[in-house]
Amino acid sequence: MAECLLCHRNSQEQLTLWQLLNFQPVEHSLLCRTCLGSLEAISPEQACAGCGRAWSDQLCTDCVQWREPSNFKNRAMFQYNDLLKQYMSQYKFYGDYRLRKVFQTRIVHEVNRFKADLVVPIPIDAATQQRRGFNQVAGLLEPVKTVEGLMTLESDKQQPQSAKNRQERLKSKQPFKLNLKAEKFNKKRVLIVDDIYTTGRTIRHAATLLLDAGASEVMGLTLAHG
Amino acid sequence: MKEKQLFGRQVLADTMSVETNQQSRLIRRPAMIETSQWVICQRCSQKTTKQEVRLPNSHYYCPHCFQLGRVTSNLWLWSLPEPNQFVQCAASPLTWTGELTPAQDACSRQISDIFAAGKTHLLWAVTGAGKTEMLFHGIAEALMKGLRVGIASPRIDVCLELAPRFQAAFSGISQIVLYGEMERPYDYCQLTICTTHQLLRFYHAFDVLVIDEVDAFPFAADPGLNYAAEQAKKESGALLYLTATPSKKLQRQERQKKLSVSYLPARYHGHPLPEIRLKLTSRWRQSLVKKRLPSPVKTILRKITSNQRHFLLFVPHVKDLEGVQSALKYQFPDMEVATVHAGDENRHEKVQQMRNGELDCLVTTTILERGVTFANIDVIVLGADDAVFSTAALVQIAGRAGRKAAYPTGLVNFFADRQTKAIKEARRQIRFVNRKAQKEGLIGGQSRG
Repeated sequence: MAECLLCHRNSQEQLTLWQLLNFQPVEHSLLCRTCLGSLEAISPEQACAGCGRAWSDQLCTDCVQWREPSNFKNRAMFQYNDLLKQYMSQYKFYGDYRLRKVFQTRIVHEVNRFKADLVVPIPIDAATQQRRGFNQVAGLLEPVKTVEGLMTLESDKQQPQSAKNRQERLKSKQPFKLNLKAEKFNKKRVLIVDDIYTTGRTIRHAATLLLDAGASEVMGLTLAHG
Repeated sequence: MKEKQLFGRQVLADTMSVETNQQSRLIRRPAMIETSQWVICQRCSQKTTKQEVRLPNSHYYCPHCFQLGRVTSNLWLWSLPEPNQFVQCAASPLTWTGELTPAQDACSRQISDIFAAGKTHLLWAVTGAGKTEMLFHGIAEALMKGLRVGIASPRIDVCLELAPRFQAAFSGISQIVLYGEMERPYDYCQLTICTTHQLLRFYHAFDVLVIDEVDAFPFAADPGLNYAAEQAKKESGALLYLTATPSKKLQRQERQKKLSVSYLPARYHGHPLPEIRLKLTSRWRQSLVKKRLPSPVKTILRKITSNQRHFLLFVPHVKDLEGVQSALKYQFPDMEVATVHAGDENRHEKVQQMRNGELDCLVTTTILERGVTFANIDVIVLGADDAVFSTAALVQIAGRAGRKAAYPTGLVNFFADRQTKAIKEARRQIRFVNRKAQKEGLIGGQSRG
């Protein structure tokens, strides 16, 4: 019997007849059915064409007001609801690295749909990397071939985005620089991956850099929107 | 860091500097020990396969106790030996003036001896026996000697209910309450009241450590917390477990003479425990779909409401709360009803409303099974055959009725679709202790107000 990594209840999973007769190892889910049931997936057809939030297929009010670069589209997989907040808190802030595996199968599936030439995870600054011991986005992308195309700028004590309001977030300056020669991105379709899309400021800064480096198209994928 | 902050504590860091000249006395232990396959956390003792918890920077972390700050294999646990820097008082610091019954007094004396001798002991006393009061004399003696005392419980609610009682009983002693969401920072005090999780931050600190509700979740199920209790006390320190419903494991330790026990089968007010009445229902969840309570439940509720009594109604799961509430509202429109569960933001307010008599009925999950006292209530369990209701849970729930000397009786009605082992065992336990109390002459003659 496996314990749910989030709520710690034992998930009483019954084997199906198929699994019994198959004689193959059974892959246990890391979360219980109740927690999995609380996930709110966003369907690509019912999402804003700019930021990927659950919406009609038109642009949402935020994206009508501001989206630069304007040809950048983000796909968000889940609503950033209570369960996903709990997940991110345990994964990122408490540093429970086991949780990277929860969404990996789904993320691989999403990444493959983009058919991108390069997959670039959003980097974290050196101090956080040192303290946490891992980059949470790279952890989510563990089974995917990625390139470390970006790095954070050495700026003195940046305030984390999560500590700012919307206006302050939108004003924040470019936090990244290229980690590879610009030629690497020339005429390439690049997919940038991050954990959460909030105002879009972070991932759109990254997109601008890669477009300026000569990428033919830059797309975004985030685990959550909210 | 101030040296006082480190007395008997274990703090996680890669380096540590302490004010004044204590630097040489600092104890430094590796936070994790590695074997070829395993890593073993030195804070909570749990072992994990390396492969499961390897970080990309090739260190390891403990996945069991990260809520208190993540332990990784490159860190150290730092402490300073507990120096007992407390003011010694000439007179007893006990400001409680109540009296113990002769049976309580006998247990109280045994506890004092256990504290003085630094032994491990179990106080097994029925719900509403007055366990806390039995501790007071032993703790007063310990405090007088300048010893450090800790009271821990797996449940926050229990800690929060105990704290003001200890504050009142030892008004001159410095006291701190520690739990996960507290706002006040840690402070070095002679008397610490905390959740059992917080014990993970102590190292050889307490001369006397009491674990209240020792059979409650998560302490009973978590070997890390058992280890934390052992490690939070000094090697020579006393450890006292309190419960009304000891686990099979504790009972076995008693039989094997590994653990000494004081036993009190009667409540302080000298009335027997209300016995459990069981009525069978048939598919009660289906009746709820039609907004109807099963008819035996309705009959009992009529009786309760006509006597104008308040009651707790326990259900197995959070998802049952709403159905029961709407059926109650439909069939008893005048009744003031609220529901409560562990994740409820207004949990403390609703419990307070129930205490104030503003609610007729509080529909609840097992979170109110123990550690809470309401003055004059009846108790109902719907779906008592559900697996969430262990024998201990059922005995604790039944123990919510008739706790106060002014209102020593109350109805305890269980409804279940079938009889279970847990129900049978709970009824048997309550009958057994009542009979035992009767035999020892603890029931009837000696009630006090």
